[in-house]
Amino acid sequence: MANLFKTRWNIIIMTLTICPYCGTGCQIEVDYSGDHYTVHGYTRSVVNEGKLCIKGYQGLSYAGSRDRITSPMIRRGDVWTEVSWDEALDYVARRLTEIRDKYGPDSIAFQASAKCTNEENYLIQKIARMMGTNNVDHCARSCHSSTVAGLIRTLGTAAATGSIRSLKSTETFFVIGSNTTEQHPIIGTTIIRQKKAGKKLIVADPRRTKLASIADVFLQFRPGSDVALLNSMMFVILKKNLIDSEFIRTRTTDFDVFAAEIEKYPPEVTEQITGVSPDLVEKAAELYAGNRPSAILYGMGITQHIHGTENVMSVSNLALMTGNIGRYGSGIFPLRGQNNVQGSSDMGALSEFYPGYIPADSDGVERFEKIWDAKLPKNIGLMLSEMFDAAIDGRVKAIYLMGENPVITEANLSDVEKGLTNLDLFVVQDIFMTETAKFAHVILPASSALEKDGTFTNTERRIQRVVAVKDPPGDAKPDWWILSQLYSRLFHREAYRSPEEIFNEIRVAIPNYSGAKYENLYPDGKQWPINDQHPEGTEILHVDRFTRGLGRFMAIPYKPPSETPDDQYPFILTTGRNYYHWHSGTMTRRSDILERESPNPYVEISVNDAKKLSIRNGQIITVESRHGSIRLPAMVTSKIPDGIVFVPFHFKEARVNLLVGENLDPYSKIPEFKVVAVRVIA
Amino acid sequence: MIYELTEEDMERLLQKIAEEYDVFGSKEELGEVVFSKISSFSEVSEKKSSYSPKDFLIKRSENILEIPRAEKKAVIGVKSCDLRGFYLMDLQILNKDPFYTVRRQNTLFINFVCTEMCPGGFCTSFGGPVLDDYDIQVLHIGQSYFVEADPRYERYLAGFRPASDQDVFVKHSKEFNRKYGKIELNGIEKRMKWSSKLWTEFANYCISCGACNYSCPTCYCIDVYDDETGRKKEWDSCILEGFTKTAAGNVRPDLSDRLRQRFYHKFKYYKLSKGEYLCTGCNRCVDDCPVDIDIKEVITHDYDKE
Repeated sequence: MANLFKTRWNIIIMTLTICPYCGTGCQIEVDYSGDHYTVHGYTRSVVNEGKLCIKGYQGLSYAGSRDRITSPMIRRGDVWTEVSWDEALDYVARRLTEIRDKYGPDSIAFQASAKCTNEENYLIQKIARMMGTNNVDHCARSCHSSTVAGLIRTLGTAAATGSIRSLKSTETFFVIGSNTTEQHPIIGTTIIRQKKAGKKLIVADPRRTKLASIADVFLQFRPGSDVALLNSMMFVILKKNLIDSEFIRTRTTDFDVFAAEIEKYPPEVTEQITGVSPDLVEKAAELYAGNRPSAILYGMGITQHIHGTENVMSVSNLALMTGNIGRYGSGIFPLRGQNNVQGSSDMGALSEFYPGYIPADSDGVERFEKIWDAKLPKNIGLMLSEMFDAAIDGRVKAIYLMGENPVITEANLSDVEKGLTNLDLFVVQDIFMTETAKFAHVILPASSALEKDGTFTNTERRIQRVVAVKDPPGDAKPDWWILSQLYSRLFHREAYRSPEEIFNEIRVAIPNYSGAKYENLYPDGKQWPINDQHPEGTEILHVDRFTRGLGRFMAIPYKPPSETPDDQYPFILTTGRNYYHWHSGTMTRRSDILERESPNPYVEISVNDAKKLSIRNGQIITVESRHGSIRLPAMVTSKIPDGIVFVPFHFKEARVNLLVGENLDPYSKIPEFKVVAVRVIA
Repeated sequence: MIYELTEEDMERLLQKIAEEYDVFGSKEELGEVVFSKISSFSEVSEKKSSYSPKDFLIKRSENILEIPRAEKKAVIGVKSCDLRGFYLMDLQILNKDPFYTVRRQNTLFINFVCTEMCPGGFCTSFGGPVLDDYDIQVLHIGQSYFVEADPRYERYLAGFRPASDQDVFVKHSKEFNRKYGKIELNGIEKRMKWSSKLWTEFANYCISCGACNYSCPTCYCIDVYDDETGRKKEWDSCILEGFTKTAAGNVRPDLSDRLRQRFYHKFKYYKLSKGEYLCTGCNRCVDDCPVDIDIKEVITHDYDKE
């Protein structure tokens, strides 16, 4: 029979790929036809079971924005000139080499991106290290570097210990420092559905979040008092003998030193620090330790402190003493912010780790010298926040930045700008002319997550395939291609031909990824470690033994945050994201619906405080810290307690990170984004 | 006239239609039933598609400064509940929205009548899977495809064998509706209560994802906005705060107000103004809701007890 079906441009092509927003890693089906697309959740996905949040449904229009950069450009004076890829890449390679030869390899720094794929992050850190420097870092520094530092010390692996699916078997959820329904909505709704089914929920947060409003116990504690709160919970568990003695005896070490420290934190004493009444602490402790299996989920509320690493280790203590780890439905879930921040960290886009968390100053580096056939540096490189300082004082002469916008997202912003203007070479590889890109000498137009192939690793260690839905606009190229071309020019080696070729090298470099192949990661991703022993991946970590052998207790004394309120600066400012926007807003603020829902910056202030200062809802007010000052509308709300104000960091109109000082966690160098002393002026 | 076709006949029917239309169909890809261009009847999946075919008539987003194009498309495999959604929308937007109208007039839908109730489905409350209004309606029983067409499309069936049993659809409808029973609507438009605690309870869990609107085969609300490429309309969600926002803010400031509005629109306002409930019992809003808010609860809730 003759086939009379016409072929026209209007066909629909369904592509299964990964949502480019948060670390949940929802699988999305994008139906693309010509200039039009729709998005649906993939109903067979073990991650999101077909569900999506508003960013998934409405957040992809940025990829088709007219603002996309479509040609490589070099800036001469104030004039941007469009150039060919060959000219741009030759120029970048030549200048990087010149600067390295003149000032030494550590005069160059690379900033990778948790928005980019594993393949791209692997490649950028490989380029950095083959150039001779460990100055490679990315925004994980500002979100979960303290998780890495903390959990590697106590458990040996810096990742969620269970799976999203395993949360269906959890009896008690303990959510601390995570506004889960707004930041990881589909994990948040997993908790809501379990709560509706009768499971227990404890929420600890300075703000009354959605989860807090439906929790069995809500611990509304003061920002920065996390260690005191957690220690007091552990005090109760110890006193009431709700510990898992068998687990502590057979699976852990250093319990006695830890227990001695905990003795100092009866809830009656910590109430002065946390503001939480002892009976609530008691109730939370009994639920968490008694109604098992229990899972702890945490976000930036734990990590973005000068004691972020200690917070993480306290969380780990709590899980270890109650045996809530290594068992289905229990565990510790650091909720990774970016879609691929787990993967970019795994890839070693961190100044202190080679791929697979091999310390940069260890003999483990020799393995990479063999794999890459190159002499490699064995030191700790500059961390993200240090790169800008080093640029100011001239130690760093060139920065190569891929897909980040530090002018908006870094703490102590004014210094970032100062650093960027003091460079001999600043290369930005991005999809938009961001606030940061405006400082660049060279711009390399890159691809959005909808325009390239590769893999992302989500917050539960699941490696998932990213598949191109459409072509990049104009002359823009996938990030892996750009890096691969640069790699070839810098080292006179053959360029990689595909993301899969890079991934196959990753499988050699990182044993935990060795069993993952493009064909077995699709359509369902696999959780690492995936190797010969675990060919289907690993859902639950630390089942029989911890990665480091025995789980290690750490005695953590409470220390106050870097800034405490005083007469001059009587409020505590805490920063974060809201539901509709993503980070510096370059993506979400280009979606009509998302921008409509949240068009302006705002500062949340309590009803009482607003009344005291005669501030009306919507009134433009000034928020000022020791480091800077911004003006923005007030949002008077009962969500936030007296004495605390909250500002999201999405808005270039009111860059709240100007207010955040450069106070760093000593272990991980994460800045304290969550506690800043400020004053509010009507 | 009802015809009885074999599988080969269905292929011939589709080829006939393809002489005039671009043919799309529900098709299984990666375990998911999606709408896609098809070239043979053998590609068609009779399972319920993962989403409604709404996008064929109301684009998720489009430039409204362009003249709507008349493209002749045929879509085979849509489920009766989804198709019924278009007939309900017609009451409000046909001949008003020019983009919807031109597509509605140029799109031929071939709907499949379900032989089993899908999990959670409650189409029987709205008449069940056999429709009175359709373009071409298909009932697949055993080896036979029983097909009936609206007079406008009857010509495609010329030459096929008339079914010996001309009551097959009526019988199936009765049998289906008897077998699965129905949730009684019971004058829901009069029963719902403005101050019901149901709305606040839903609001406790709802995360404003918009899935209920986007998945719904009867939700037609759009937002209009301008950007650098033109004036656009796009799917909107009445659950969002910015929806129907005025200079003085949203007239429904709380999430519970907006959730109530959604159900009042579906079960009261539309019924009073258009004579129909704006729901087909497809259960898509429940399937896609991440917090299991169930529209059936709105129907079964005992408002008198509150």
